[in-house]
Amino acid sequence: MPLVGNIRDFGLSDFLYLVDRGYKTGCLHLSRADEMSSLYFDKGKLITATRKDDNVPVTDLLVRKGKLTAVQAAQAAQAHQSQNGVTLSQVLINLDLIGRDELQRVLQQHIEESVYALFSWNEGEFRFEQGQRPDPTAPIMPTPLAVEHLIMEGVRRIDEWGRIKDRIPNTDMVVKFIEQPIERTKGINLAADEWRVFARINGKDTLAEIARKTGMSEFDVCRIVYGFLTAGLVDVIRKPAPVPMLATGRPLAEAPRVKKSLVTRIINRIRGM
Amino acid sequence: MQTVKMVISGAVNAGKTEFIKTISEIEVVSTERPATDDTRLIKKETTVAMDFGRIAIGDDLVLHLFGTPGQKRFDFMWEILSEGMLGLVILVDSTRPETFRETNRIIDFFMSYRETPYVVAANKQDRPNAWSPEELRLALRLPSHIKVLPCMATDRESVKNVLLELLDVIMQRSED
Repeated sequence: MPLVGNIRDFGLSDFLYLVDRGYKTGCLHLSRADEMSSLYFDKGKLITATRKDDNVPVTDLLVRKGKLTAVQAAQAAQAHQSQNGVTLSQVLINLDLIGRDELQRVLQQHIEESVYALFSWNEGEFRFEQGQRPDPTAPIMPTPLAVEHLIMEGVRRIDEWGRIKDRIPNTDMVVKFIEQPIERTKGINLAADEWRVFARINGKDTLAEIARKTGMSEFDVCRIVYGFLTAGLVDVIRKPAPVPMLATGRPLAEAPRVKKSLVTRIINRIRGM
Repeated sequence: MQTVKMVISGAVNAGKTEFIKTISEIEVVSTERPATDDTRLIKKETTVAMDFGRIAIGDDLVLHLFGTPGQKRFDFMWEILSEGMLGLVILVDSTRPETFRETNRIIDFFMSYRETPYVVAANKQDRPNAWSPEELRLALRLPSHIKVLPCMATDRESVKNVLLELLDVIMQRSED
């Protein structure tokens, strides 16, 4: 079954997180009015992105960008026709018509810009078709792209409180790293301000305190933390409430735990229903 | 007579009333009223106060099931209902991603008071376009130790399974 919804309700960055963590393979189709884009993923990583108005073979794209001649493009297309299960991108590399690194750089830049443009959509229908693969002639990157980097860059372009407040309701929230954040930071390049905030995360300070210590505005700190949050690097939690104290000054004991025997009775009753 | 309480919460139209109706021994006490706000778009009647169901465990013990109102303007009821609860079921309409943010808000609300044992029930799994429990876990960003269970609130065995899974979580935290 495809996953369907509207990015107004379940944002693009949320969906990229789901694709990444779920190691999803398939295509995310996005549409609004007469615009339509498709992002293809392989095991949670982006391999290509196409737009309805710019759905061309990789060879056409490279000719347009001056990286290939029309003759070379025709040569690659002809060679590709006789090779089953191989992408046209791979054929270009195999024929040595373009270097792997150069092809990656050109396609990555093109695809990233297509994706970043989608972050400005405030609404639009999405449909994720599991297992759907791109046409082999599409501009498929030789090395699939980790989505954390896309999420961070996309979130940098958010300039509204509304979306941020969905995840960070107020600046009294505490920021803490999730387990093994270092592993996840490998695909992410942080800007200077982002490093300033990153270095202040200690699981104790609130967003307001981080803003004060870094001298940045609360909005900027929240926007940056929203990016970390969306990329799955950190979590935000409410500041723990102080433990209520008795008149004697001793902390109030926790509520007594329920007895196992009582839970067992309820389990047996429900099993027997 | 000892009474214990479980709370069934979730966004509007998640299936809370149906969940309680399916398992309760008594006719569910429900305060269904014609919807007066945007919930009208989703269902003709919605729970404006609460649902109440009951399961007798024995002569001396009764389990009460409370369904919380779904709309934001009844938030104050959640605090009252959460007092002394044994555990919490968060119901999610698996076919409506537009309710996932609200679901997160509800979880956040209940967890801000105390570490209540809870499970998430991915309701309406029999419908086309239902997100699977694992997809819901990712969408709601739930940690791996929180159980996300497939559910059909109209099916007694399915509801029983959700409650038994919750009781298993409660059992792990209980004392001899």
